[in-house]
Amino acid sequence: MRSYRTAYPFRWRVMDTLEMLARVLWPNRFSGAVPYLMLAPAVLLVLLLVIGMAQIADSSLHVLDRSTFLPSADFTLANYQTALRQPLYWMIIWRSLLGAAVVTLLSLIFAFPYAYLMVRTPSALLRKFLLIALFLPFFIGQVVRAYGWLIILGNQGVMNEMLGWVGIEPQRLLFNYPAVLFGLVQYMLPFAVLMLAPAITAIPEEIESAASSLGANWWRTFTHVILPMSKPGLVGAGLVVLTLSLTDFAMPAVLGGGSQDFIANAIYDQFFRTSDQGMGAALTLFLVGIGSLVVGVIFTVFGAGTLAMGRGKK
Amino acid sequence: MTAPLSKSIVIWVMVGLVLLTLSAPTVVVLGASFTSGNIIVFPPNGFSLQWYGKIASDVGLRGAFMRSLTVAAICTVIAIPVGTLAGIALAKYAIKFERSLQVYLLLPFTIPLIGSGIGLMLLFGQMGILGQIWPIGIACCVINLPFMIWAVTASAANLDPDLELAAANCGAPPIATFFHVTLPAVMPGVISGSLLMFILALNEFLVSLLLTDARTVTLPVQIYNSIRSIITPDLAAISVVFIACAAIIIALLDRLVGLDIFLKSK
Amino acid sequence: MTKTKSTYALTRRRFLGSAAALGGLAATGWTGQAFAQEPEKPAEIIVRAWGGSWVASLQAGVSDPFTAATGIAVRHDLTEDNEIQPKVWAAVAQGRIPPIHINWDTTTNATKSALRGVTEDLSDLANLANTTELAKPVGLEGYPIVNTYGYVYVLAYRPSAFPEGAPTSLQVLLDPKFKGRIALYNDGIGFHFPAQVAGGGKLEDIPDNMDAAWSFIEKVKEQQPLLGEDPDFTNWFQNGEIDLAVTISTNAREAMKNGIELAWTVPEEGSKFETDGLWIPKGLPENELYWAKQYINFAISKDAQQVWLDGLGLPGVVPGLTPPEGLAGDPSYPTEPADFERLIRVPTAIQVEHESEWFGKFKAIMQG
Repeated sequence: MRSYRTAYPFRWRVMDTLEMLARVLWPNRFSGAVPYLMLAPAVLLVLLLVIGMAQIADSSLHVLDRSTFLPSADFTLANYQTALRQPLYWMIIWRSLLGAAVVTLLSLIFAFPYAYLMVRTPSALLRKFLLIALFLPFFIGQVVRAYGWLIILGNQGVMNEMLGWVGIEPQRLLFNYPAVLFGLVQYMLPFAVLMLAPAITAIPEEIESAASSLGANWWRTFTHVILPMSKPGLVGAGLVVLTLSLTDFAMPAVLGGGSQDFIANAIYDQFFRTSDQGMGAALTLFLVGIGSLVVGVIFTVFGAGTLAMGRGKK
Repeated sequence: MTAPLSKSIVIWVMVGLVLLTLSAPTVVVLGASFTSGNIIVFPPNGFSLQWYGKIASDVGLRGAFMRSLTVAAICTVIAIPVGTLAGIALAKYAIKFERSLQVYLLLPFTIPLIGSGIGLMLLFGQMGILGQIWPIGIACCVINLPFMIWAVTASAANLDPDLELAAANCGAPPIATFFHVTLPAVMPGVISGSLLMFILALNEFLVSLLLTDARTVTLPVQIYNSIRSIITPDLAAISVVFIACAAIIIALLDRLVGLDIFLKSK
Repeated sequence: MTKTKSTYALTRRRFLGSAAALGGLAATGWTGQAFAQEPEKPAEIIVRAWGGSWVASLQAGVSDPFTAATGIAVRHDLTEDNEIQPKVWAAVAQGRIPPIHINWDTTTNATKSALRGVTEDLSDLANLANTTELAKPVGLEGYPIVNTYGYVYVLAYRPSAFPEGAPTSLQVLLDPKFKGRIALYNDGIGFHFPAQVAGGGKLEDIPDNMDAAWSFIEKVKEQQPLLGEDPDFTNWFQNGEIDLAVTISTNAREAMKNGIELAWTVPEEGSKFETDGLWIPKGLPENELYWAKQYINFAISKDAQQVWLDGLGLPGVVPGLTPPEGLAGDPSYPTEPADFERLIRVPTAIQVEHESEWFGKFKAIMQG
């Protein structure tokens, strides 16, 4: 009995049973379905959001009756027409898109050297330090962090005090477009670094040494070898930063001083301030449409398989 | 191999700037929490631990914190299998309609959080599950799921199809191959992804705002709601306690699995 | 150690307060019902409230004495009034029990809920007999809401920026000296009507012709105002970002109490006067509805109002309240008809109907 157990441990038995079960339930000829089966749970989870969006889509097709504050009974596209006719919304959409693009570019530029150093440094201590510095700010939360910036960049803040030492008059550093973009960049940096690091990890260090031994200086090595090879990470990080900043709410609200709204702020106003759920819903779907379009274009340009390097190797 | 000086300078200047922006608000919040005054100022006004005393004696806060931990745990437990499987599938196989599928799986990021919140509130309300904790965990999982999937696909670079083939050739059945070859290869991605999922769920406030009520309120929602007429230093103190907890978790993780794990190539 | 002591002292004071309030309750006749057919008491009721000094005042004046008298705990939900609204509306639409028992709300927002039909009627509250006409919502049938006090959107300013004394007119907002140093609410609430006067228009023309207001607001836009909510105003005054803001006097008063240099005035153009109220969403179990009503009934008793509104520094809806220290005769604390002459009141019905249009117009100017 005892020797049998050692020869055929419990874990193996479990695994064998599982394998058998898998064979019975999922014979080899079905193997083409395996990837879809693996994707199914994620698709189902996201489906929750899609069903929620269907509810939103339904409310977007009714206008608010201001004598009863109930949605109208009949279906209409009036909310969309109103939204499209208002120059205000176009301006806000343009501001959000431009902002998201600038924030993405800046985040990638600054996240890259950080991720590179974190991956390549021979010092385990430095690597840990960089990693912890990345994770800790998450724990203050976006809103409290934004208020921290109000204190630093304010008229009587630390920053202006330092400018005062070199003889520069106090400047209004907050409540403008650049302040919002800055807030977004510092919020997105950790995300970008975390998405870039694995991609850089995947570039063998030998390739870099090979390039430099062939006479390429570090800038050439960087632009011709490292950058192209980290494309999957760049695209992944870029998409995350782009979509998250396009739909952000807190930074424009706190650092924008109220006159730098992004689309999410306009949506907030409709849902919460003017109680016009239909209009809020229409704007929400509009934003989802724009976001998805941008994502689709990026995938088309860089290829949907960009993220799948394991497959690319074949 | 020693890096050229110009390269080191460029990298260090940029990393220095990033470190400064990452840590500046933390330092301010940390400092403000020790003020003896009634409002957040930096540098702090005198030194006192009164705000820590205040939050320590607040039972409501402790409850909210425990609920946030539960939400984050539920979120992470669901995200790990779901995101890992999806990530591996996307990285390993050629899939029909892949581009549409990618756009679909990115919906949690393209839908603004307010929209997600309202949509999920209506849906959960209809299902009659509003007012419980676990749906908030699921909601946090859905809205951050792309992080989990992508962390896994990003580390799938380590996935060597030849190695899997070799295992299969040696007679390893598919599930064994998955657990002994595929999973270990993407482990760095799984760990960084789940860490991120946990942290983000722990700090989520906009969607949770719509899914919680006074009895199920989570910590970030409580903080968000407290910023009403004045920002008091107790909010800073809560953040500091949060950071301390985070530091402990990170230290534990380092002792258990080693922080380097998701940066080292196999 | 001192901490514990002060908590004890506070509890004691509250206990004394509640004992007094209990007398008040008995006087209004409902503790007398204690042995009659009284519906089963819930363990707690949930009251939505604003945070900071707002909830602290409510707790001291209403919630704690209510708990002392009835044994029913009161939990405060600090979700914003704007943000609780879709939650309550969805709950009623889906036939669920609403997330709160009582909503402490602006009368404008509450009116929307009343028009939508999600409010319970409160006409049968015994204490309504002792209230002034301010308690009655204008233009609505019965009492879907009970107004509990009034407040004024004052012009708050930093005294050191006005060595010659308080500003007298809203024209001060156009003074180049204050470029980038003025603040308004995000949606311009509290500012549209005074702006109509400041722009040379007539209040009678609201809502049909508000060109005067918009042209004045366009001029204000040139001054690069900051836009925000109450916590932002406090923060901006504290950090020296602004010298002028149109805000509710309660917030200005709390900022002052926290050591921020501040004063306020009602300009010659007038200031907007508004009310807040309490209401109960539909869909509560019978017994919880009964006790929620008792809570509101108590909130409009003289004892409760005295303590609650002392905290807020606002005029209540029962006659004979003693004004809080330093507020007697203050323009932000109107009690006599003459006090109301400088204040602007626009019927809630008109506001509710046109509000989103005004907000949209204001935003369009400010975001441009």
